[in-house]
Amino acid sequence: MSDDIRRLSEELARDPSSMVFLQLGEALRRGAQLDLALRVASRGVERHSGNADAHDLLARVRVDRGDLAEATAEWEAVLRLAPDHVGARKGLGYVLYKQHRLEEAEHHLGLAAEHGDAAVETALRMVRRLVRYTNGAPAGSAPNGERFAAAERRVEDEARCLFAEILGDGQQTALLLDGDGLVTAGAYVTADGEDVAQDIGAALTGVRDEADRTVKHLQLGAWRAVVYETEVATIALGPVLEDSLALVAAARTLPLGLVRRVLDRCVQRAEAWLTEVA
Amino acid sequence: MRAYVAEAWVEAPLQRFVDDAHVQFALLLHPSGQVLGQFGFTRAVDVMAACALGAAIHASAGELGRELDGHPFRELYHAGRERQVYIAEAPTARGALVLLTAFDAESSLGLVQVYFRELRDALRLAAPPAAESGPALDGNFEHDLNRSLAVLFGRAQQPVSGDPQSTRPPA
Amino acid sequence: MSTPYTDALTAVTRQRGVLGCLLVSEADGIIVDADVQVGIEAGVVGALVASLYRRARLGTDAAGLSAVGFLQLEAERGHVCAVGRDGLVLATLAEPKAQIGLIRSAMLHALEAV
Repeated sequence: MSDDIRRLSEELARDPSSMVFLQLGEALRRGAQLDLALRVASRGVERHSGNADAHDLLARVRVDRGDLAEATAEWEAVLRLAPDHVGARKGLGYVLYKQHRLEEAEHHLGLAAEHGDAAVETALRMVRRLVRYTNGAPAGSAPNGERFAAAERRVEDEARCLFAEILGDGQQTALLLDGDGLVTAGAYVTADGEDVAQDIGAALTGVRDEADRTVKHLQLGAWRAVVYETEVATIALGPVLEDSLALVAAARTLPLGLVRRVLDRCVQRAEAWLTEVA
Repeated sequence: MRAYVAEAWVEAPLQRFVDDAHVQFALLLHPSGQVLGQFGFTRAVDVMAACALGAAIHASAGELGRELDGHPFRELYHAGRERQVYIAEAPTARGALVLLTAFDAESSLGLVQVYFRELRDALRLAAPPAAESGPALDGNFEHDLNRSLAVLFGRAQQPVSGDPQSTRPPA
Repeated sequence: MSTPYTDALTAVTRQRGVLGCLLVSEADGIIVDADVQVGIEAGVVGALVASLYRRARLGTDAAGLSAVGFLQLEAERGHVCAVGRDGLVLATLAEPKAQIGLIRSAMLHALEAV
């Protein structure tokens, strides 16, 4: 048990009416202790049934457990209490997407994006692309489920090959990361065939916040690229739209200037791809 | 996570400080120990203890500085094994305030100092005129302290700026 | 006043377009030595660049890409460059027109001398 969870548990035991259950439930959820998180969140909702964040916590625990219908009910309760709750809009968007109800997912994600959550933009664009491809299939050509699966495969293929033309067969690879560091497009496969894209994305995405902070405080205007050399590769990062990031990794033997040009082209390609369904 | 405040005018500067500096805990207090805002604490008793200790450390450092240097020390830093503590003074129209903050390797002393300077400037701009507030340590100190702690932990409402006795409806 | 690092910093600041060069502790972002033009807030530059470099180093470690060498941030109104070793970061702030290739070379040599 982490120090934080122990401290929060003790505080909740001392004062069961405390709102600290929100932090405790979230800490348990993030620690994948879902049964405990469910118990904490459920009791929190019983005690604070008029609190939107309590229902939101319970919904997030429910969705992590795969209880999509129960999660939906909780997020609907959140919206009755707080119609502008961004977390509930995002959550409903996710559940509806998983249920292949794309137009409804688009509606909720669109409202979340309108309330200023830039991190939801990429998900919204992906859903819109799926809507377009699903609706674009000839009517009656296949059952809904199959049309959705075909659209999903098409988006996955597009995403995987997004930078292929730019990269060619060279010793370089590229990824498009969303605001949470998750891979939206591209691939990163090691020499022994292991796909490490998600790990690389998660590890390197924090550089974006640092770059944003540095240019803001030094009044350098918008940043265009962060390039750094490691012992085995050159890494180049470039901002894509509001929240995304393009990452190019190249062998150290490639000149820095060439890597920088490849990054520029990947950024342009990613922006074109993301905005063609905006 | 949100910063909780007993007086509305410190909310935006304090929230920005904790967001930018990535600190784990922050307390904004009068040198008397009366709390104005907190971030990261879950128990009122911890806030009370930290305020009392922070005010005492700040006062001691001030005296030590006067003894040694002829001027009070206004910034203090302590590096622990995992957490670091920084205490500094921010002068405002309502008198000096003290920031006590703790952070880990997600931040650094340099960053905390950079964002403390911004916090200090923002507090100076946001502070209501001195005439609108009473002395920090008066006959109602204990009552004010308890009310501040209640506000910080969601059991009471913030006073309208400049009118410490009145309350306003929740936002 | 001359310090053990003066020569190393001067070798970088004499490059065209360089606005300042600083030696900073990577862990706490505090300046060890600095040679910056008037108007540049050395403390702010040092804290931010040390944090940026540290984040990149931790990220590449986590990604299994080995140690970070030279780092460059390119922005509309300037460049930030950094290179580190043994808990120290050599940081440079430069104008947009600066020759990054020359600065990179000067910084790598300067780091060896530090």
